[in-house]
Amino acid sequence: MTNSNKLFRWRDPYDTGGTQALFAAAMEENARFQAENCPDYGRILREQGGSAPGDPAALPPIPTLYFKRHALFSLPERRLLIKATSSGTSGAMSRMAFDAGSLLRGLCMVWRMTRYHHLLSPVPCHYLILGYEPHRGNDTAFSKTGYGFTFFAPALSRTYALVWRDGDYQLDLEGLRRRLLRCARGPFPIRTIGFPAYTWLLLSQMEKEGIRLQMPRGSKITMGGGWKQFEGQKVEKAELYRLAESVLGIAEADCVEFFGAVEHPILYTTCPYHHFHVPVYSRVVIRDVDTLEPVPNGTPGLVNLMTPMVRSVPILSVMTDDIGILHDADTCGCGIHSPWLEILGRVGARGLVTCAAGAAEFLKGGEGR
Amino acid sequence: MILYRGELHDDSELSGLLGRLESDCLAALAGEPLTPELVIAACDSLARDIAGGQFDHLLRPFLEAFSIPQSQLDAALGLFTRESLTRKLRLELGEDPESEDLPHPGFAPIRRRRYPLGVLLHIAAGNVDGLPAYSVVEGLLAGNINLLKLPSMDHGASLLLLHELGERQPRLKDFIYVFDVPSTDLASLSALAEVADGIVVWGGDEAVTAARRLAAPNTKLITWGHKLSFAYATSAATDGDLSALARHMCLTRQLLCSSCQGIFLDTEDMGAVEALGERFFTILQAENRRHPPADINLRARAALHLRTEELEAHASGRRILRGGGVSVTVAPDSRLELSWLGGNCWVKPLPREKLLAALKGQKGYLQTAGLLCAPEEREELTALLARAGLVRITEAGEMSRTLPGEAHDGDYPLRAYSRIVEMA
Repeated sequence: MTNSNKLFRWRDPYDTGGTQALFAAAMEENARFQAENCPDYGRILREQGGSAPGDPAALPPIPTLYFKRHALFSLPERRLLIKATSSGTSGAMSRMAFDAGSLLRGLCMVWRMTRYHHLLSPVPCHYLILGYEPHRGNDTAFSKTGYGFTFFAPALSRTYALVWRDGDYQLDLEGLRRRLLRCARGPFPIRTIGFPAYTWLLLSQMEKEGIRLQMPRGSKITMGGGWKQFEGQKVEKAELYRLAESVLGIAEADCVEFFGAVEHPILYTTCPYHHFHVPVYSRVVIRDVDTLEPVPNGTPGLVNLMTPMVRSVPILSVMTDDIGILHDADTCGCGIHSPWLEILGRVGARGLVTCAAGAAEFLKGGEGR
Repeated sequence: MILYRGELHDDSELSGLLGRLESDCLAALAGEPLTPELVIAACDSLARDIAGGQFDHLLRPFLEAFSIPQSQLDAALGLFTRESLTRKLRLELGEDPESEDLPHPGFAPIRRRRYPLGVLLHIAAGNVDGLPAYSVVEGLLAGNINLLKLPSMDHGASLLLLHELGERQPRLKDFIYVFDVPSTDLASLSALAEVADGIVVWGGDEAVTAARRLAAPNTKLITWGHKLSFAYATSAATDGDLSALARHMCLTRQLLCSSCQGIFLDTEDMGAVEALGERFFTILQAENRRHPPADINLRARAALHLRTEELEAHASGRRILRGGGVSVTVAPDSRLELSWLGGNCWVKPLPREKLLAALKGQKGYLQTAGLLCAPEEREELTALLARAGLVRITEAGEMSRTLPGEAHDGDYPLRAYSRIVEMA
């Protein structure tokens, strides 16, 4: 068995301490494969003087921006089973594709993680998806992962916020509300899936209308995709948990958030204290914004995510557009022994004022020139 | 908050006030015209009182909160003094047209007189606090009624200043209307635009494009768009010049219209460009240590782009010198482009024979060129840069200077805000 496969079958998904050597070996294995099969990655590795065995942080971190400008594949097209693009907040999209081996590792991970977080359930439930109804021609990762999440427990129904009607997506909040009202009277739990901002929008709207429901036991609010596109109305998480309790009768502990990206398809899941602990499949290096050198835990910097999960694309070490902090495990208190990642927000200085031509657009997230 | 004929109103009264705006403007137009002296006296007295500390209780917390240095406040106040405004009037409007009639053989000579455009709608930008108020003062100097749409990032300074002007000279009240309307409220903006004879817009391409849509074909549009600036150096550029340029970059963090985005070197020789890049990199690093670090988000954004450029360097031919919170990108092309800001600039070749052609594509965006050269070539290069479309050619460290009486992006606002009427 390869080191990567061994890592993705590790029993305790948060045993980062016990998997250090295995992780490093799997990364080394992946780097060698990428260098041999993806000429561009081979060049990048050579340019920085090759890999350093035993130290994944020394592998060249590639900004997600690079994947948006260049499509890199390490396997022939016929081996690529699933193609996905990032949701592309600022226009450009990364093109990613995954082979069977990578997907299988992903599946092992999803199974371990969801079981650990009690998200796998034999009890059927109603899904409310605050996102796009799957439709041919919509390749964004969210519509796929959103759909994927509806298999954690058997689905009785799937209701979408954005429905495909007459060749276009339309917002159907009314349909969601009707479904919620009906479910509150039924025996089966519900699960909502969607961007936190959409979830908040739906809940606050219902609260304004004076709706107070008690969802069946086992109901959960699951959220993913971060807060992007909604910077202006950034909601305090506490406010969202309060709404869940008051509008749907769903307790704070049943509000679960996920984090991941097409460029780093690892399922980060919040602990009971709503922190994203690093699972064995992944490692995080926070880098200084000037030197790009790793900084100690507790210091904000650019977020570099590493995983040996994927063979089809060289995304073993990517640098996201986020500023974040890696906290020591013991600062959480939930009992998980791995450090946790706090995302502070996307880079881009909205508060700065400028009159240089194109600068405002650049700071907002465009390429600017 | 809304300021309407000297009175402060709550934003909820917007639609009522918009309903009577046109008739109130017509009434003001029919009344006694405004003279520049009224405006100058009010501005001068306000500027003196601010400098004298009368508004310190409001101003100090504000200056601290946005870390605005005293020098910037002093420079801003300098624009509002009697001396500055009088000089501005004289320079921009020139000789009074009434002083010379137009001969008309066989008829009585034609009298000429300057009139305001009428009603001006100012769509202001938030890049400098108080600038929206200055735009209105310019409108007032030309005698106009002024409707001001505040920028979304306004911190209240403009409203305060304009309210105070009305308190000092009550005749100004009928000429000042300030609205806090978001850019997304198209219905209200259209209502304001309909009343206006001219729309003055400050901002980037997005704001200018939006204003073009807002303005009816018979409404004059005056745009103060965003600009790009750069330095032009010859082999004679001294370390002193380069230090002054580095200081200017660190002070403005390359965020201003007039901020240097990069250096063009008068050469075709990439070796010389590389050498200048290395030389400037050392100077920029040293200078940057004397300044507080740029915003972390700005630095992070630059770092991601620089890292991406490094990975692409094998194909682009660019070389990135990075460290100490700054960077210099040595690039083989001659395109004027935005830098990664915050102390990250480029150095490119641009021989003087190719200057006109290289800058043609940036028409309308060109503003300041800092010129680093030997004294004997200064005249020739200044003329060349002017012909290429630049409107300010300065010393290396002077690119972002603000002087009362300076033209704005090559234009005199007071002329744009008024018209000449010929009378038989």
